[in-house]
Amino acid sequence: MIKAQSVRKVFGSVTVLDGVDLTVAPGEVVSILGSSGSGKSTLIRCINGLERLDGGSITVDDFDVSKPRELAEARKRSGTVFQMFNLYPHMTALQNVTLAPVEVLKRPKAEAEAEGRALLASVGLADRADAFPSQLSGGQRQRVGICRALAMKPRYLLLDEVTSALDPEMTADVLDILAKLAKEGTTMVFVTHEIEFARTISSRVVFLEKGRLVVDLPTEQFFAADGGLANPRIAQFLSKMRKD
Amino acid sequence: MRYTEFTPFDIVLLAQGLGVSVGLFLATTVIGLLIGTLWAVVRFYRVPVLAQVITFVAELLKNSPVLVQLFLVFFGFPAFFHINLGPVEAAVITLSGNTAAFVYVIAVSAIESIGRDQIEAARAFGLTKWQVLRHIIAPQAMAFAIGPLTGLLVNQLQVTSLISVIGVMDLTKIGNILNLRTLKPFIVWAVVGVLYYLAAKLIAFAGATLERRLRAHTAWKGL
Repeated sequence: MIKAQSVRKVFGSVTVLDGVDLTVAPGEVVSILGSSGSGKSTLIRCINGLERLDGGSITVDDFDVSKPRELAEARKRSGTVFQMFNLYPHMTALQNVTLAPVEVLKRPKAEAEAEGRALLASVGLADRADAFPSQLSGGQRQRVGICRALAMKPRYLLLDEVTSALDPEMTADVLDILAKLAKEGTTMVFVTHEIEFARTISSRVVFLEKGRLVVDLPTEQFFAADGGLANPRIAQFLSKMRKD
Repeated sequence: MRYTEFTPFDIVLLAQGLGVSVGLFLATTVIGLLIGTLWAVVRFYRVPVLAQVITFVAELLKNSPVLVQLFLVFFGFPAFFHINLGPVEAAVITLSGNTAAFVYVIAVSAIESIGRDQIEAARAFGLTKWQVLRHIIAPQAMAFAIGPLTGLLVNQLQVTSLISVIGVMDLTKIGNILNLRTLKPFIVWAVVGVLYYLAAKLIAFAGATLERRLRAHTAWKGL
């Protein structure tokens, strides 16, 4: 269970997160929607401990991310996929995938490599395992990014606009993989601009606006005329996103 | 009467001088690399006070002539600390310190050249600061630093010639002796110059070879 309570995050004079409450139970796929600058990515970065909280608390399976000792445990339970891939450029695809399992989970190298190859094969990259990120296309890089997160066998997958840097064709490739993961019951926190996709895979949708969590509804209700759409700000946001 | 002709033994003398120069260069390079890198790591961990002290010392070493530092060590250590130093020891201390200061600057900028995004990714997956330094930063920083380092070391080889003034029998000192005996400066200094040149070329070649290996991951092969 990921539990965020009254999370506050301030950058200088700007309050990016202003008392956000969010609970993600195992098995759920929660989509976080909202316009740019609404604090979606910052919320993800607070959950994986890349940003310090200025108020409130976040726990991952009861491990408090603001305590260094517990953060290490929390991080073992969540895997992050980044918007700009953030691969290690000096390592091959396979090395990118096996680094954390070997160093953090202390898995035997041969075992981690076998699993890494299997993961890469499962996203169609069997023959690219020994390629460096610079030799891969954007879509391939993001698939490596997903494998890198999955290799840690995370209980929670945190996805931060993972298709924003990809063209539509590559986006489709990556979304297919995520849909498969969702079907297999992977717990996901999914920051995205892909409204339709969010609608098909998520069990719940939350809407952030200026650092506040405005709406937290089951997907059906969120997209229903008398549910989330009743909120004029959300209706406006959705119609804008669909036009693009 | 003085013996002004070159003799076969002069070749041995020159070889000895070259050996002393290269030996001192290698020793001070190893010590300088170790200390400079260690300083950069201290800075990476933002150790309070120590990091500031190191930056200050490195600034002093970088911004004053090596010859002045050499005199301060050679004459200053015995005078102020009552430690008697031979010329070789004084040379090792001075050149190591000087190399360390420049290695520090290169290492710091190399560490800072690594994109934050990869470091954040590694941290988010639970790697410790040390693991990030070892697996993410160090290999890439090395590829970044090898060019400037090669330049530095070629220069530091030439700088070793300064130690002849405190009586170390390096290549320059041997050149000086041969010159005074034979009074054929153009031959002596040309030969000495060529020897330095060849040694420097060797360093540059080794650096370039290492750089090619370290940069194997970049698809960029130049225009």
